[in-house]
Amino acid sequence: MKNGRLSDFMRRDGTRTVLSSIVSILIGLVVGAIVVFVVGLTSDNLTLTSAWEGIRLIFGGLFSTGRDSAGALTFGFNSTNIGNMLFRATPLIMTGLSVAVAYKTGLFNIGAPGQYLMGTMASLMLALAIPSEVVPAGIVWIIAFLGGILAGALWGAIPGLLKALLNINEVIACIMTNWIAANVVTWAFDVSNFKNLVESTKSSYIYKTTFNGVETPKMGLDILFPNSQVNGGILIAALIAVLMYILMNKTTLGYELKACGSNRHAARYAGISDRRNIVLSMAIAGGLSGAGAALYYLAGNTEFFWNTYTSLPATGFNGIPVALLAANNPIGVVFTGMFMSMLDIAGTQLTSLTAYNEYITDVIIAVIVYLSAFSLVIKMLISGRRKKVRAAQPGSAAQADASGETGSGAGPMPPAGADTGKGGGEA
Amino acid sequence: MAAQPEYIIEMLHITKEFPGIIANDDITLRLRKGEIHALLGENGAGKSTLMSVLFGLYKPEAGEIRKNGEVVRIDDPNDATALGIGMVHQHFKLIDVFTVLDNIILGAETTKMGFLQRREARRKVEELSERYGLHVDLDAKVESITVGMQQRVEILKMLYRDNDILIFDEPTAVLTPQEIDELMETMRGFAREGKSILFISHKLNEIMAVSDRVTVLRKGRCIGTVDTKDTNKQALSNMMVGRPVQLEVVKSPARPGETVLDVHGLTVPSKVHKKDAVHGVSFNVRAGEILCIAGIDGNGQTELVYGLTGLEKPTHGRIELCGQDISHASIKKRSQEMSHIPEDRHKHGLILDFTLEQNLVLQRFKERRFQHLGFINQPNVRQYAERLIEQYDVRSGQGPVTVVRSMSGGNQQKAIVARELDLEKPLIVAVQPTRGLDVGAIEYIHSQLVAERDKGHAVLLVSLELDEVMSLSDRILVMYEGEIVGEFDPKKVTVEELGLYMAGAKRDSAGGESA
Repeated sequence: MKNGRLSDFMRRDGTRTVLSSIVSILIGLVVGAIVVFVVGLTSDNLTLTSAWEGIRLIFGGLFSTGRDSAGALTFGFNSTNIGNMLFRATPLIMTGLSVAVAYKTGLFNIGAPGQYLMGTMASLMLALAIPSEVVPAGIVWIIAFLGGILAGALWGAIPGLLKALLNINEVIACIMTNWIAANVVTWAFDVSNFKNLVESTKSSYIYKTTFNGVETPKMGLDILFPNSQVNGGILIAALIAVLMYILMNKTTLGYELKACGSNRHAARYAGISDRRNIVLSMAIAGGLSGAGAALYYLAGNTEFFWNTYTSLPATGFNGIPVALLAANNPIGVVFTGMFMSMLDIAGTQLTSLTAYNEYITDVIIAVIVYLSAFSLVIKMLISGRRKKVRAAQPGSAAQADASGETGSGAGPMPPAGADTGKGGGEA
Repeated sequence: MAAQPEYIIEMLHITKEFPGIIANDDITLRLRKGEIHALLGENGAGKSTLMSVLFGLYKPEAGEIRKNGEVVRIDDPNDATALGIGMVHQHFKLIDVFTVLDNIILGAETTKMGFLQRREARRKVEELSERYGLHVDLDAKVESITVGMQQRVEILKMLYRDNDILIFDEPTAVLTPQEIDELMETMRGFAREGKSILFISHKLNEIMAVSDRVTVLRKGRCIGTVDTKDTNKQALSNMMVGRPVQLEVVKSPARPGETVLDVHGLTVPSKVHKKDAVHGVSFNVRAGEILCIAGIDGNGQTELVYGLTGLEKPTHGRIELCGQDISHASIKKRSQEMSHIPEDRHKHGLILDFTLEQNLVLQRFKERRFQHLGFINQPNVRQYAERLIEQYDVRSGQGPVTVVRSMSGGNQQKAIVARELDLEKPLIVAVQPTRGLDVGAIEYIHSQLVAERDKGHAVLLVSLELDEVMSLSDRILVMYEGEIVGEFDPKKVTVEELGLYMAGAKRDSAGGESA
């Protein structure tokens, strides 16, 4: 009966989702390793040995501890790497949540970069402008954090409003609001007095929030992972992820949002205000991106480069693969966000310990991310194969019959099996 | 040719399993040459599965198929086509932006050096359509022709491929009464020519009218094959459902009470064309009566219901529900006194990717017993769903947690009916509530609607089925081109009379017009 339980477990949708994500991550890593290998072979300054080292770093960069006296790579617990991984994962988890929550409600939030920028601006300005001599630094932190969320939420609500009222596709509206945000933020800091004029080499940067004594509490994580940038932000992000899971799955609000996302007509029929929910969903998504920015920049020692902002923050866009890889599950996002930042760490290790240059590592990371996004295809393959084994028939034909619906197919839903017949029927 | 085998197609001991269910359990079906053989069964009885096996879409676990007495292998639809088996699917497989001619020849094009030989194809299609009286405009785009025409295109497709075993999967579900008559005539013509027809249906009238023999399936099993002339509707439906079925609706005379819904001069614009789909319609529905709006599809019934339920904004007119003016009220406000079984169960009725229990609380999830401080009270939702599922006999794979998309059409409809009737509202708007359902389910839904009436609720029924209109309603309004052209007492009017009004040939000047 052990077999039965295993196949039951395998048949669960959640199992398949997790499995497909893991498989696609592995495929991504393997292909990344192949790229490392090929680059290693074709570059003059890289040998076969360094190619092999590169591959090891791709898989184990997080646990790299440098080189021993003989010059060989060493691996072990590296508190700096792990702490930094957690720190960099924090904003990724938040933008990942932003994309995932919007997606669950039928919206594609490609506006995370813009919302992230607006959150950055609001939280930095608040954290630097409110004098911590007057207001306790902890309160300033909270105000700045909430300000970041609010700014992101408002920015997210704009495409939401455009979609709800004028039926403008949210993707187009998001892309445009992203660039508006980039320019607004540049302008706002340009005319502000938050430019770092103290440290002469940092003249294109904004003051760190530590100048005003504001920083995210460490919550004991600095003891666990000494010599790293880690702080309590990761715990807050994880907590928000859990809250989002509860919101989406356990509350009437989540039910309404998902109903609108799945079938706007049916939601309207049931008296649910589809317009309100579209705006709300985009505002929540924006708020999450804004919170991500706040958690990153309120860390205290992170610097924001403001000067002539001509590109959008990658953290915002990276929320998309983070969410995809997690199949839009808020809890899954925590792990995929950490995976993405792990790649980042592996990249820096690759750059610092081998002769691979930093641009190659970016290419490799891109390959891994790109392939990881194939998790849906992998899931289809997993499900398809299982069905084929069971029913000995094309995967697509089995769909409609999973529950035994084999009847005359009353109503407008065509039996999926009939679709497979199309080509043949006309042949 | 020595002894011509008696049967052109034999499906012997076909067994087809799907996870958790045996869709076809040792079914044997024999089709004679030149006969119209009906395949009758409820939703989920395995009719479509059996035909899909014959058409090569499914591979059976056991059993064999013979043509003219010889065992054949049908692995995919190409094999089926090669054996002369053609199928008109319930949902047409046409390319909307192609012309009729291109659709017919698609996949079987005559080419010369890679170039299409349309002229030759056209000649053949024209000849076929002339011979069988299947007139279509070959140069029209499929998207611009009626559903009935599209079906002709599908039939011509089969003929073009020289198929002589024709499968019709629920062909009448989408047709008007006139088109149904024409289709029946066409089918008889095919049979006379020696073509053999398998006709899937659960409409007893049609089966009695057109078929030579009937095979009845129930829950995946073959119940038997009978000659149509030796049986009757009652016997067939008993075979199909497995118990004596009440074909006629039993109801006592209505005792109408006060007016629940009062509509005055309602005008609703059309989404499709510039004109108004509903034009100055006035009527009322009283408590304890079933008012039926009859008419051929597309005469404004859909838009009238949209206007009443708030899915569409009326441009003129007043709607009073339980004494309150709701002409401009929100859907939510209206639904306080009104439940609505929508015409399109997939667009409006259900969220297909939600579970059954989530769908059953679609309007009520905000009620105190289903939520507390915004958190869904899952145990109560489950309990409520289980009660409705039990009470209304909604069948599904995994009960309350079944994803609705995977349920059969009939059970999806039952779920909607369960949800709406359980709301216990003074007015029930039911639009084609039994469309595509089998006899057992229709009987059940009809009796439920009568029960609602007897509880003193007002029922507004919109139906395209004249049988349903005649048997269920207490009062009939006929709608033609967006206006109400007549009001009738079902006991005093004949189907023929109604048909004339529905077709626009007759109208009462008194009926419905107003300022």
